[in-house]
Amino acid sequence: MRSRLDIRDLFAEAVAGIGTRPARTALTVLGTVLGIGTLVTTLGFSATAGNQIAGRFDAVTATEVTADIPPPAGPDLPPRVEWGALTDLARLNGVTAVAGYARTQPGQEPSVRANTVRDPERVLDRALPVVGATASLLGAARTGVAHGRFFDAGHVDRRDRVAVLGPQAAEQLGVTRVDNQPAVFVAGKPFTVIGILGGVGRANQQELANAVIVPWTTGDDTLHLGPVGTVLVTTALGAAPLIARQAPLALSPNDPAAVQVVAPPDPAALRTGVADDVSGLLLVLGLVSLTVGALGIANVTLVTVMERTAEIGLRRALGARRRHIAAQFLVEATVVGLLGGIVGASAGILTVVMISVAREWTPVLDGRLAAGAPLAGAVVGLVAGLYPALRAAAMQPVDALRGPG
Amino acid sequence: MTDVITLTGIGRTFAADPPVIALESVDLSVRRGDYLSIVGPSGSGKSTLLNVLGLLDVPDTGRYELEGEETTVLGDAARTALRGARIGFVFQSFHLLAHRDVTENVMLGGLYTSAARKGRRERAHAALERVGLSHRRDFRPTHLSGGERQRVAIARALAGNPALLLCDEPTGNLDSANTAAVLDLFDELRADGTTLIVITHDETVSGRAGRRVRITDGYLTQEPL
Ligand SMILES: Nc1ncnc2c1ncn2[C@@H]1O[C@H](COP(=O)(O)OP(=O)(O)OP(=O)(O)O)[C@@H](O)[C@H]1O
Ligand SMILES: [Mg+2]
Repeated sequence: MRSRLDIRDLFAEAVAGIGTRPARTALTVLGTVLGIGTLVTTLGFSATAGNQIAGRFDAVTATEVTADIPPPAGPDLPPRVEWGALTDLARLNGVTAVAGYARTQPGQEPSVRANTVRDPERVLDRALPVVGATASLLGAARTGVAHGRFFDAGHVDRRDRVAVLGPQAAEQLGVTRVDNQPAVFVAGKPFTVIGILGGVGRANQQELANAVIVPWTTGDDTLHLGPVGTVLVTTALGAAPLIARQAPLALSPNDPAAVQVVAPPDPAALRTGVADDVSGLLLVLGLVSLTVGALGIANVTLVTVMERTAEIGLRRALGARRRHIAAQFLVEATVVGLLGGIVGASAGILTVVMISVAREWTPVLDGRLAAGAPLAGAVVGLVAGLYPALRAAAMQPVDALRGPG
Repeated sequence: MTDVITLTGIGRTFAADPPVIALESVDLSVRRGDYLSIVGPSGSGKSTLLNVLGLLDVPDTGRYELEGEETTVLGDAARTALRGARIGFVFQSFHLLAHRDVTENVMLGGLYTSAARKGRRERAHAALERVGLSHRRDFRPTHLSGGERQRVAIARALAGNPALLLCDEPTGNLDSANTAAVLDLFDELRADGTTLIVITHDETVSGRAGRRVRITDGYLTQEPL
C-alpha cells in the first residue's frame, strides 16, 4: 500500500495554488519576464543586426576579388604582371573567372568618334576611356552583350581592330546597332564595333559602361595601353578570402607585394563583431534580470510555503508524502517560471520584430531561441523552487497543522 | 472482534523548559466499530493523543499497533500511506482551503489514496449529501457558517472512506440540531464498521459514545458512562 498522486492531479493542484493569488503571481512572473525578454531581445536583435550587415555584402559581392597592379617604376623596366600570368591565376582552385585589362589613364582619354552620322547637330567627338581587355571580361565583370558579340581569343591573337562599346559610350557615340558594321575612330584609328554591352553587374567596374573596349593586344599596338593594370576575379562562394591571399603570388611570383588586392570583408567576422558589440552588455543585463527573477520566484515560493503551512499539514494528514508536497511546490514554481518565459519570449520577439520593422530590416528569429526561452524560464522556476519545496517537504505534519508562526 | 488499536505505555514529551509531558504511559485498546470519546481539561493531552493515533506524530515511548501492525517502527512513507488509506481526520480548526470550493475541498480527501480518479467528484458529492450540505457544494468555505465548515471537514474525512475516523471537537461549533445530525451520522458510520474516536467537551456527544476515557495531565483513565 502506498500513497500516490496522479500527475494530472499534481498539475491541477499546482495551478490552483498559483491561481490563488493572481496579483502576487503576476508580480512574481514579472522578474522572469524581464530576464527572458531581455535575453531574447538581445539575442534576436544581434542576430538580426548581424544578418543585416552581412546582408549588405551579399553572396555576389562576397565572390569578387579585384587586383590593382601599378605601372612599372621606370619606362624600361619589365611589367610587374605579364598577361600570361592570368592563366596561372585562373587555374587556382575556387576561381570561376579571371579577366585583366589595361586602360587609358584618367585625364588622358583619347577622342573617339563614330562614323554613323545621322544628326549633323551632334557633337561626335568624345573623350572616352579605352580599355584593352582579355576576351574573358564578360564573365569576370558580370556583364553581357546587349547587341552583337564580345571579341574572343581569336580576335586577341590576330590583334584585330574590333571594339565593344559600353552602353553609355554607345549612347554618347550614337551607336545603337552593330549589324550595319559601324566603326569608331579612336585617336583617329578605326575600329569595327562588333558589340554593345548591357548593364555591368560588378559594382566596382561601373566605368566599363562608359568605355570603349578593345582586345588588349590591339590596344597595346595602337594606343600603347601597356601591361595589365587591373585583374578581375570571381570565385566560388566562400573562396574569395583564400583567392585574395593567393592572387598576388600567382600574378607576380617575383614581387607579390606589388599587387594590391581588394577582397570583400569576411561576413562571418562582421557578424560576430556586431554580436559581440551589441550583445555583451545586454546579455549580462538579461542574465542579471533573470537571476533577480529567480530570486523573486524563490522568495515568493518560500513565503507561500510558510503561509500554507497548515495546508501542507492537511495534505500530509490526507496521505501526501514528502515528495508529493515537494513536487507540488516545485511544479508551482516551474509553472511561474514557464509563464515568465512564455511572456518574456513573446515580448522579446515582438521587440525584435518592431525594431526590425522600424529600421526596415529583416528580423532573424531563431526557432531554437523561441522554443528555448520558455524552457529556460521553466528551468529558472524549477531551480528557484528547489529550496522552498524542500523546506515544505521537511515539515513535520503535526507542526505544520498548527499553522504558520 | 479484533483490536483496531492497541496502545502500550505510550509517552510523549515535548522538549521545552521545563519539558512538557503531554502523554504518560497511556494504555488503550479500541475495537473495530468502537465509538470512543476522549474527554479532559484543556491542555491535558487530548490532541496529542489524537495525533499519535492518527500517525501524525510518533510517541517517544511505547508501542502502537494499528490493525495488528506495529507503527512506531515504520518509516515516514509507510506511515503516510497507512494514514492516507485508513484514517480520516476532522480537525479542531477544520483546515479547509479558503480558495477552493466546498466540493474541491472534499475531493482532497481521496487525492493521495489509491482510490480511482474517476468518480472522485461524485464521491465528494455523496459525502456532502451525507452531511446535508449538497446545497452548498459550490460555495467557498469562507462563505459558510462555522457549523457548515465543520460538516465540510467531516465530508472530506468521509470521502477518503476511512476505517478509523479521528475527530477533534467535531461539534464544537454546532447547535443542538446540527449536533444531533452529526451524531446520527456517526451512528451510521459505526454501523458500517467505521471505528470512531472523538475528542469532546460536549456531554451529549460523549453520552452517545460506547466508551469514554479521560485524560488528565497526560494520564489516561477509563471512565464509566
Ligand atoms: N509541540 C509542542 N511543544 C511543546 N509543548 C506542546 C507541543 N504540543 C503540545 N504541547 C503541550 O502539550 C500539552 C497538551 O497539548 P494538547 O494539544 O494535546 O492539549 P488538548 O488536550 O488537546 O487541549 P485543548 O482541549 O485545549 O485542545 C499542552 O500543555 C501543550 O502546551
Ligand atoms: Mg486539542
